[in-house]
Amino acid sequence: MAAHGSLRASLVAALLLAAREARPEPAHEASPWYVPDHAAMQFAGAIGFLSAGPGWSFLDDTVEAALLVGWAPPALAGEDFFTFTLKGQWRPFLFDAAGWTVRPLMVGAMLTYTVGDDYFAGLPSRYDQGYYWFRTAIRPALLLGASAGRPVEALNLRFVEGYFELVATDYRLVQFIRNPSTVNVELFTLALGVKLRF
Amino acid sequence: MRVWVTLLLVCAGCGAFEFHPYELRGPHRDLHARSLERLFGAKPKQAFRFAVVGDMQLFLDDSAAAMRDLEQRGVDFVVQMGDLTEFGSTQEYEWGVELLSRLKVPFFVVMGNHDALGMGQKLYRRTFGPESFSFTYSGTRFVFFDSNSREYGFPGDIPNLQWLKTALAPAPAVMNTFTFSHVPPGNGDFDDALAEPLVKLQQKKGVAISFHGHVHQYHDVHAHDVRYVTTDSMKGRSYLWVDVDGTSVQVQRATF
Repeated sequence: MAAHGSLRASLVAALLLAAREARPEPAHEASPWYVPDHAAMQFAGAIGFLSAGPGWSFLDDTVEAALLVGWAPPALAGEDFFTFTLKGQWRPFLFDAAGWTVRPLMVGAMLTYTVGDDYFAGLPSRYDQGYYWFRTAIRPALLLGASAGRPVEALNLRFVEGYFELVATDYRLVQFIRNPSTVNVELFTLALGVKLRF
Repeated sequence: MRVWVTLLLVCAGCGAFEFHPYELRGPHRDLHARSLERLFGAKPKQAFRFAVVGDMQLFLDDSAAAMRDLEQRGVDFVVQMGDLTEFGSTQEYEWGVELLSRLKVPFFVVMGNHDALGMGQKLYRRTFGPESFSFTYSGTRFVFFDSNSREYGFPGDIPNLQWLKTALAPAPAVMNTFTFSHVPPGNGDFDDALAEPLVKLQQKKGVAISFHGHVHQYHDVHAHDVRYVTTDSMKGRSYLWVDVDGTSVQVQRATF
């Protein structure tokens, strides 16, 4: 057990050192802040079968925002689901290994808006104030994940990065907090994705 | 990295990918039809016992405790009075079904207002079947219907009294009739214009007990020759069990 603990400690230390000593990434021309510097495409994660959209990075890619449009087709989800998702992510650690740049931890949050008459963003007038304490069209979620990427010069891309996210949607979080022994391992679902950085 | 690998494996083993909170996906379909098959597939009993459990929504751990308690009670089937879920999401439907399935006896679920949220109505129909249905078991008629009037903006046909009239039509060999719906008549979420017609219809058709949930509080009253029984939510840690033997009906409340 002690060996396990010291291994973990040295791993954390290595990550922190790597974060500080990381080689600067290839320089790219400064663009106005509103021009996206990457595009993401994602599979699953409660925001569609597939979702895609632009993203913006700050502070050497440690802070990111993304706007995704997602779709789940009736053949796979039983119904058309269109969602807009706003994501914010923080990725404090970075290390290089065998030509790959790895970000071993991402914590983030997202807010999803589902399009359609079946969902409400404001409480419809048939309900008294506070009748439902949540909005079926708007779903917050917490994210936990990691990514690894490398430059792909052939495509003239600064970086191609693969990532996974563990997604804890509002109803999973609420039910987990109130019913930990029943909800147990079903707090998270998995999302997989690719980011192209230009 | 080992933490991540473990988490990934945990995710991969449990329906890891979700496309949307209200996706119409998952293993459970037409569970009421299967419950009926099981109920009528077994040897018929003259005397039987069923349980009535209230709103489960945010009280899943309490519901699990209720199932453990019910195991000792030896019931023939279970009726859940609606609000199986809080958000009406697919995953919550699955949690609710998983909890009720722990008892290994057939179960029936009334549709609650929370269960109808988002794609909830479609999820309900996919998972269980139509909201309005009835069956006769051992001389007792069970009639289930949707009384969540406010949820649909008081359209005037929730509950559907026309359907109910047919379902309650006299039939030979029916000794008792029980009805089950989530919102009790007289509650603000029940269509005011339909409350009196429903009460009169139940009286006229000789309904013995009208079971309800929604208000999260146990009530047991007689009105217009019909007994109206409302269950606690699972948070109140009580449920009902009903013994039927011919025309003898006994309702008891169990706390756990």
